[in-house]
Amino acid sequence: MARPRLELVAFAVLAFGVQPAAAEEAIPPWAEAVIARGLQQKAPSGTLDRGTLETLRQRGETLFTGHFTGADGVGRPFATQAIVPTKRKRPPQNEFFRSAGLDANACSGCHNMPVAGGAGEFVTNVFVSEGFESADFESLDPQFSNERGTNHLFGAGLVELLSREMTRDLQATRRATLAKARASGEAVSSELMTKGVRFGTITAHPDGMLDLTKIDGVDADLVIRPFTQKGVMTSLRQFTVNALNHHHGIQAVERFGKRWTGEDDFDGDGVADEIADADIAALVAWQAGLQPPIRSTPEDDEWQKAAERGNAVFDELQCSTCHIRALPLSSLEFADPGPVDMAGTLRNGESEADAVYDLSLLEWAKDLPRDEEGNWLVPLFGDLKRHTIADQEVSAFGNELLAQRFVERNVFMTTELWGLESTAPYGHRNDMTTIDEAIRAHGGEARASRDAYIAAEEADRSALIAFLRTLVIGEVE
Amino acid sequence: MLKRWRIDTPLCPAGHLPHKGGDWLSSGTAQTSPNASAKSKRLISPLVGEMPGKAEGGEHRRHALSLVILSATLLLSHPALAAPLADIPVMHEEAQFAGLTHAYRGPWEYFVGGGAASFDCNGDRMPDLFIAGGRDDAALFVNESTKGSPLKFSRRDHGLGRDGMRVLGAYPLDIDNNGHMDLVLLRLGENLILKGGPNCSFEKANDAFAFDGGRAWTTAFSAMWEPDARFPTLAFGNYVDRSAPGSPWGTCHDNVLYRPEQGANAPLYEEGRALTPGYCALSMLFTDWNRSGTPDLRITNDRHYYRGGEEQLWHVEPGRSPRLYSRSEGWRHLTIWGMGIAEADIDADGYPEYALTSMGDTKLQKLDEEAEEDRPIYTDIAFDRGATAHRPYQGNDLKPSTGWHAEFADFNNDSLADLFIAKGNVEAMPDFATVDPDNLLIGQWDGSFEEAGGLSGIGLPTKGRGAVVTDFNADGLLDLLVVNREQNVSLFRNKGMKQGDRAVAGGNFVAVELAQKGANRNAVGALISIKIGTRTVNRTIQVGGGHASGHAGFIHAGLGTSERAEIRVKWPDGEWSHPYRVFANNFVRIERGEAEARYWYPVE
Repeated sequence: MARPRLELVAFAVLAFGVQPAAAEEAIPPWAEAVIARGLQQKAPSGTLDRGTLETLRQRGETLFTGHFTGADGVGRPFATQAIVPTKRKRPPQNEFFRSAGLDANACSGCHNMPVAGGAGEFVTNVFVSEGFESADFESLDPQFSNERGTNHLFGAGLVELLSREMTRDLQATRRATLAKARASGEAVSSELMTKGVRFGTITAHPDGMLDLTKIDGVDADLVIRPFTQKGVMTSLRQFTVNALNHHHGIQAVERFGKRWTGEDDFDGDGVADEIADADIAALVAWQAGLQPPIRSTPEDDEWQKAAERGNAVFDELQCSTCHIRALPLSSLEFADPGPVDMAGTLRNGESEADAVYDLSLLEWAKDLPRDEEGNWLVPLFGDLKRHTIADQEVSAFGNELLAQRFVERNVFMTTELWGLESTAPYGHRNDMTTIDEAIRAHGGEARASRDAYIAAEEADRSALIAFLRTLVIGEVE
Repeated sequence: MLKRWRIDTPLCPAGHLPHKGGDWLSSGTAQTSPNASAKSKRLISPLVGEMPGKAEGGEHRRHALSLVILSATLLLSHPALAAPLADIPVMHEEAQFAGLTHAYRGPWEYFVGGGAASFDCNGDRMPDLFIAGGRDDAALFVNESTKGSPLKFSRRDHGLGRDGMRVLGAYPLDIDNNGHMDLVLLRLGENLILKGGPNCSFEKANDAFAFDGGRAWTTAFSAMWEPDARFPTLAFGNYVDRSAPGSPWGTCHDNVLYRPEQGANAPLYEEGRALTPGYCALSMLFTDWNRSGTPDLRITNDRHYYRGGEEQLWHVEPGRSPRLYSRSEGWRHLTIWGMGIAEADIDADGYPEYALTSMGDTKLQKLDEEAEEDRPIYTDIAFDRGATAHRPYQGNDLKPSTGWHAEFADFNNDSLADLFIAKGNVEAMPDFATVDPDNLLIGQWDGSFEEAGGLSGIGLPTKGRGAVVTDFNADGLLDLLVVNREQNVSLFRNKGMKQGDRAVAGGNFVAVELAQKGANRNAVGALISIKIGTRTVNRTIQVGGGHASGHAGFIHAGLGTSERAEIRVKWPDGEWSHPYRVFANNFVRIERGEAEARYWYPVE
């Protein structure tokens, strides 16, 4: 029998859709809980005004930085870390377990460099495994899991918005190509390109069959999945639900609740319905609203000059072919739930009302440059595309033994370089101490740029580093 | 975890009382010959209800007595229905709006049958429909629906003339391996094999295939490709031999097995082999019950007319004469008013379970712990799982139900098998529910089923017979056609999952089309094993079962919250494929030997 969560009164009444529980009890300020220290909320709906959005984000920050406790649902003695609800056969010997989790007390336990929402150093590495079988053995041994560094989340809302628009474009191309093939009675090929990024070609046949053998850097369903080094997670919402379970054993109702498992305490820790849709929304809103990293101007004159030169070298070495400086974004309206998620992550139309977080209401949005067509230019230094990044001679980035979610072991999403200076160390395993090491490790599709870097004059290499070190998270508002 | 009240009467698998001499699993001597029945002096008409023979009269007084007891038992045995925890699909009836105006009609001979075949007859991969008309003409409907749209069909001349009449059921399969679906029509009189051509054209192929359609009253069909065979083996199940002395009582026709001979690019079915004894089959299915790679033939029979009969399982071994599984091999005596067979591996243990519809309670059979590879010992788990569906779940009619078509399918895409059962009084049988709505038993995470027929919207006062469960508008949600007796067909569009007064998206899904070169191009007999996390969802491609109804085309599977799936195929010859990695919410085609699955997209 699951024990009911404490019904607690929040310290601050949340402005959005407050719907107090029927029988609230005053809580002492010293109560050891995070999630429970908020009113039972109704999920936000409609386009939120600035005040409501800020209040929601405050709640999200509280959840992101709070140290979860047993009262919040920490622990999953009878569930694994798997993304698909999966039972364990018995509780683990130790509830906290560095590789298969639980492995953190707060989101900010890892995402904390330089501030909450940031990256983490080597000690915060996580261990990615399917988590379906033999969780005890999914240990530090790389044959059972892939070890990954903690990414920063600044600008994540913009990244997700970009990926949604790119997905929309690619799927529109697919629809149009299929329609042409059906109408003409002949096979029709189309290039998949969105925001200047090429994703290969598709060929549609008159019978509706689609040849996907020549797509490049995107999944067969033409969904851009922008999150994780591997590029296998669709949305902040999906990632949040995954991470809460993996790292804390806090199971979101929208995936682990009765609808998809038949139980309200799937992980068997005695806490039912551990985190509701509304609190997931708050976490999403907070992350989505994190300001994008910036390019700083060094105080040191020599550094400034070097950085300017490095800026040019970045193009000369064709780093910017994949690390595209900025991608255009047509709208800052962040719908939550989003349009691309699948069952198990709350979907558009699935809750009583969907919400829109207008990121243009946030202060940092004023500083985002726009192009002549009115698009916001998102300076992510990435292409939201996956590439082969290791080869026979240069294989350091091919150091994983397991493919992940159908993506081969030596294929990774182009790292967005914004915030680079604030997020050392580097590499998907967080085991390269300098930017120089990371550049030299580029193989596969990036081999030519890497070779050009090595062959370049020392001054140019130094200048490139100088430039890259101006890419910082910046002062957080 | 059982929530239901148990009855302490001896084995009475569901709500009605044991019948004198019937509806029992018996350890007695096998009665597999017609002569045995003559010695047993079984009741002419069973204690509870009757089948089409109502037209010839029944045993009303005995019925009246038994029904008093029966009703009391039913009241006690079925507490208030619990609302399913799993999603309930919103099924919107729109047959007339969709252009489906058709009914299955006719006198006594058409009290049974009433089937439909769903298959693609014009190459657009959307399921078209051929629906039996009974005494009246059958009808062909071409599917003009687009992805996620309201359903839309247009009637097309089937070109059969009067051969389109007296049709009881239909099953699609590509007999001659030419890429066009052929149709087998079960008729009152000569059965027909229709050779499919382009653009929904058909031509009678009885002569071309040297097939004598006979003159029987045919009510069941199944087909399979035996090892190395270029063409399928066909089994026809027959009902009452109306010309036999004493008909209809104890005069069940033999069933017939046709093995193909090689003709010039076509099979020759010159010689049928009688499957004796026949016990008035109403459904049959080639099924690889023990995963031996050699399907056997399961037949469900109507106890109302046979004497000394029972449910049957035939060995159908290559090159050998079929023979019945015997009691010494573990096959247990079971007599029911068998009307439909559904198969699914509902617990993913590798071995299929079977739902058998009947009057009163539905059986749900699972291999018993004592079963062995060559010993088909089954136990009925319907009561434990809440799947008896023995009386109407709504209204005030507490009389027993009459079940017909049964089909396992995942209506809410949660990855658990649901069970649809078509229900309907035989005609005007007073001892059985007059208003007998179809069932939609939703699979629950604890392995049980919960009734959602009424909540989903399919609980109409119709007399269901055959049915087709398939995705008519390619939106990943299974829709439902029910052929009703003397009433228009019902066509339910699955609009999504019930959430208050809205319909929201269901779980993820994948739809799989198999193809192989040469014979058996649609891989009848193949097992599709879909891995999602630690669980496996199994599907088998079969021709047969249900009630006079079958469908071909994409095989649908719900994936729950899984966004990806690994699919392995055990091809009909037993060879396993490598894993195919596919993304959820897609239609994929797996061609044998190809490295990757191919994606198909419907018209939007």
